[in-house]
Amino acid sequence: MSAESHEKFTQAKLDRCISCGYCLPACPTYQITGEEQSSPRGRITLMRALQDGRLPFSDEGAQEQASFCLGCRACEPVCPAGVEYGVLLEEWRDITWRGRKRPLIIKALFQMVSAPWRVHLMSALSPIARKRKSSTDIHLALGCFERRLFPKVSRAVAQLAPSISIDPSQGCCGALHAHNGDLEGGKALAKELGEKLPGTILSTAGGCAAHLSAVLGKERVQEFSQWWSGNLKPMTRNGKPIRIGLQDSCHLRNGMGVFKEPRKILTQLGEYVEVPNAQGCCGAAGSYSLLRSRDSKKIIAPKVAAIKELELDYLVSVNPGCTRQLKSALRRARVKTKVVHIAELIALAP
Amino acid sequence: MAEQSLASALTALLGADRVFADSAAREAYSRDATPLFRGLPEVIVAPHSTQEVAEVVKFARATKTPIIARGAGSNLCAATVPLNGGIVVSMMQMKKILEVSRNEMLAVVQPGVSTTELDDAVAKEGLMYVPDPGSKTVSTIGGNAATSAGGLRGLKYGTTKNYILGLEAVLGTGEVIRTGGRLVKDVAGYDITRLLIGSEGTLAIFTEITTALTPRPKSSQYGVAYFNTLADASVAVDAIVAAGILPATLEFLDNTCIKAVEDFAHLGLDSQAGALLLFGDDGNSESVAKTVGAMADISSSARGVRAVTLAPDVAAAEALLYARRCSLPALARLGSMSILEDISVPRPQLSKAAEAIEKISEKHSLLIGTFGHAGDGNLHPTIVLDKDDADEVTRAERSLSDIFNLALELGGTITGEHGVGSAKLPYLRAKLGDVSLSLHHNIKSVFDPDRILNPGRLGT
Repeated sequence: MSAESHEKFTQAKLDRCISCGYCLPACPTYQITGEEQSSPRGRITLMRALQDGRLPFSDEGAQEQASFCLGCRACEPVCPAGVEYGVLLEEWRDITWRGRKRPLIIKALFQMVSAPWRVHLMSALSPIARKRKSSTDIHLALGCFERRLFPKVSRAVAQLAPSISIDPSQGCCGALHAHNGDLEGGKALAKELGEKLPGTILSTAGGCAAHLSAVLGKERVQEFSQWWSGNLKPMTRNGKPIRIGLQDSCHLRNGMGVFKEPRKILTQLGEYVEVPNAQGCCGAAGSYSLLRSRDSKKIIAPKVAAIKELELDYLVSVNPGCTRQLKSALRRARVKTKVVHIAELIALAP
Repeated sequence: MAEQSLASALTALLGADRVFADSAAREAYSRDATPLFRGLPEVIVAPHSTQEVAEVVKFARATKTPIIARGAGSNLCAATVPLNGGIVVSMMQMKKILEVSRNEMLAVVQPGVSTTELDDAVAKEGLMYVPDPGSKTVSTIGGNAATSAGGLRGLKYGTTKNYILGLEAVLGTGEVIRTGGRLVKDVAGYDITRLLIGSEGTLAIFTEITTALTPRPKSSQYGVAYFNTLADASVAVDAIVAAGILPATLEFLDNTCIKAVEDFAHLGLDSQAGALLLFGDDGNSESVAKTVGAMADISSSARGVRAVTLAPDVAAAEALLYARRCSLPALARLGSMSILEDISVPRPQLSKAAEAIEKISEKHSLLIGTFGHAGDGNLHPTIVLDKDDADEVTRAERSLSDIFNLALELGGTITGEHGVGSAKLPYLRAKLGDVSLSLHHNIKSVFDPDRILNPGRLGT
């Protein structure tokens, strides 16, 4: 314990929780298990026990809960006492996943984005938007895995927004680090990106946007659907307006309070259908789908069933992790609905 | 019995996936929503059926192990904190709505169903499950029945005890009993249903609950009146009921609460006012308009009134209800700990109680915000304090004792709707007297001869 004694939670943040339990129904892991230890309140009880030394940080059950948590922060908007659960979870993982204790997959992911040139290399074979400099003070954040996996997103933004600057030599925003036990690294990378991209940073990834705005300040960051202000004409298919659903990005909704904006855009593009529990985590949760693939599949299962029933033409995502998760889950279930980023769909509009 | 063998014996009974004995799980179940109370259980079990609950109780009886039934753990009287260790029985794997009968206006549910889940399900049939405790999104029907939970509609509609028709429960012997049923009228024998409701897990563990429902009101309307003091608002409340009006909602907040809520939720409340009275009614639109109009008129001419307005639309009404519901958490933001009390007094004594609580706050130099269900005389004085300030904690404890004495002097009670649990047990004798307490003790012996069900609480 002595080596760990200086590694503590911010006491004032722990004190905020009044243990009322209002967070329980909002928590996806509690919904699966019904067990107090996998609820936000239960996890805060565990954090308090760790803080006061009643449990060692090495306790297996506690470590399991730090890992089982999706980090979706659905508990935050429903918390009447204003507990910053996301920050507490980041602190927890910062302590328990430090150094050798960090999961291998996370170590590998950190390596991949450890320098801007490596991030750049990731997209070597992906046709992302080209470098360009514009006179306005808005810069596109390209994301690391987004540019590798979904290069069309940045191309769509480049097409829709000729006025923004794009610089592929940028590095990682550090959200990955902050969520996976490297708070300092996460902050440093965000600041580095903030210097590289002066003015307003435009992000197409809810997770990156929320992290950047937490470190650099809200005024520096705009998520794409927040920023978009153009008028749109409805899209049709076989003469009927297309049916569109949305999967919220947890951090965009719960961290930045942005959820009306994408819906407003989609309502213009066709027949907007609210997917049941659209605000609930899809189970991607950043690296979670890699670390805990089975739990991740359990989380998304009811969502897939609901989406199948709705017979949507498009399911819109505002975060690359969600896009990847939804694409593969819908493919497995043979659901024909196409998963696209909101910028891609706008780019398709007449 | 050692933890290990307790866990392995229970695992043999229920299977490994229903039994938790690791440090993290025990820690997580060491608390409920009550501040200051904590106790580690030895093991947690999560049964899936009445039969499994019965087996666990029989095992606990054979080994003389304390056994504590728990729903969502949202109670505020430490009724589910395992202060004597033992087995926590989590009812959260039994959460099926078994039946909703429109004809009979009733529902049959397992105990782990949440209050909101039940109300949402019956809303589809045009029905309503009436009791609406502040924690309704979290709290379970089992927990509501075990504490006879109240809520914001008590004056017009009553509380949980008025809406439970029948129970299936496991006694302390492990025997399964069915009480009441589906009937509106049934006087065959003692009313054991009513005895079990509010027994806080000390007489039996509920495994199935039959609840009465009512038709869902077609419309509702709300208004707000500001007063100079909470006592002024109390006088207006008394005048409203004396005029023959029985509305669904008569809630109030004092200035401390108004300010806290306004800082938190920015609803445009008048934070200069000494008190806010929220009034409203539900039913058919004509009668609602008439009742709400009458309440506005009475308030407008009442002592110390500052302003009266009606909510123009549903959104405005929802905002007002939200203001009331978030009083506690908004207050809780003001300090590192808050202790919420729950006294109830006869309605005509409400203004005296409000004034006396203010004096108690001054006497002990404590921040006390008071809100409550004015219509039914139920007050929630809430002490906000610094948990690390030992002197302040001591002063808070003294003020609690003053508050309970005040309630009893005015002909009221130490708890209106939260329950006794461990938090209010020390004050129960003052409320009930020796004869009643001894009767409680004897009743417990009949239902639970080995005193294993939630020991150290009611019936001790």
